[in-house]
Amino acid sequence: MESLLAIGQGRRPRFAVAALFAVALALSGTAAIAEDGSSTAGNATSPVEEFSQQLEAFQKSVPDLNKSIQDSAGTIDSVTDVEKARAEIDKLRETVSTLLGAVSDNGPVSQLGAKALDHVHDKLKRLAQETRFKPEERQYLLDQWRKLELETSSATKELDDARAQFAGLLQTLQTNEDFIGELLEIRQAEKALEVIRNLTHDIRDASTHLNKLIGGIKPPGA
Amino acid sequence: MWRLLGLAVSVAIVGAAIAACRPGDDVGYVEIKTVPVTPVTQTAFYLDSTKLAPIKKGSAILRQRVGILKLQADGFAGALAPLCDIVVKRNRITTVTVSVLERPPRCQCRYSGSDAARACVS
Repeated sequence: MESLLAIGQGRRPRFAVAALFAVALALSGTAAIAEDGSSTAGNATSPVEEFSQQLEAFQKSVPDLNKSIQDSAGTIDSVTDVEKARAEIDKLRETVSTLLGAVSDNGPVSQLGAKALDHVHDKLKRLAQETRFKPEERQYLLDQWRKLELETSSATKELDDARAQFAGLLQTLQTNEDFIGELLEIRQAEKALEVIRNLTHDIRDASTHLNKLIGGIKPPGA
Repeated sequence: MWRLLGLAVSVAIVGAAIAACRPGDDVGYVEIKTVPVTPVTQTAFYLDSTKLAPIKKGSAILRQRVGILKLQADGFAGALAPLCDIVVKRNRITTVTVSVLERPPRCQCRYSGSDAARACVS
């Protein structure tokens, strides 16, 4: 695309057109003088007029072609919606990732939960062998620690659920991001195809005008 | 009163933990699933040279630095048996299912099409 733009914006085609125009004018001028009596009398357009019209059409088509190329490139660049969606998913992914980091198996919250549970188990084991307290006191303490064990286990299970939920969410975001990426690629491929088709059409038009222009150059006596 | 204080302390601890483990630019996740699912896996797994805690209920999600990790298991004569490579990407989760019935255990995962080494990818 850049090379096409460079060619479209370059000075050489303009120079060539100008040179062609000068040669054509010189030739047509000579031809007009030579055929002055015969051609100007009729109603049909003279070769000079015809040539001028074709040249005008061609010159008009060149900036249109440039504009077409630039517009097409701009269209591809302005495919921002999918990018925006992707950026939003990135942001969401980061948020979920942060939360997953806390509850992952080697994350700090999970490790705190495991430590807390280990501590409760350890305490229960030691209390079972404890001889300092009266049986009713020991039973009371054991009941309290068992209650704590249940609550800690329940909290740990909630942590497991949260872990599974965040992991699932992250995977969903990943899958959607991949899907958006694929959509973006399809969209860009379609745009590129459209650009190529339009350019081919415009170049063919310009070529037709140029052919007419060259065909309109009739040297004297031809 | 005590309950509120306890709640506030818990919130502060969890908040601090989340802030402390906030993933930087170079952190992703590895999910290891083992089949068949058992309360605790008997096979010891290693990510590179780090031994993992036994996997409970057939699943573990581990926070890891971005890069390529080698999943290994205890092999014969105390040597580590390499199972597969896992690609960890930023804020992404790479899932690997390990069949522990086979000897050595075998990885099942999504591979990158272009990677000759067939590393597991997210």
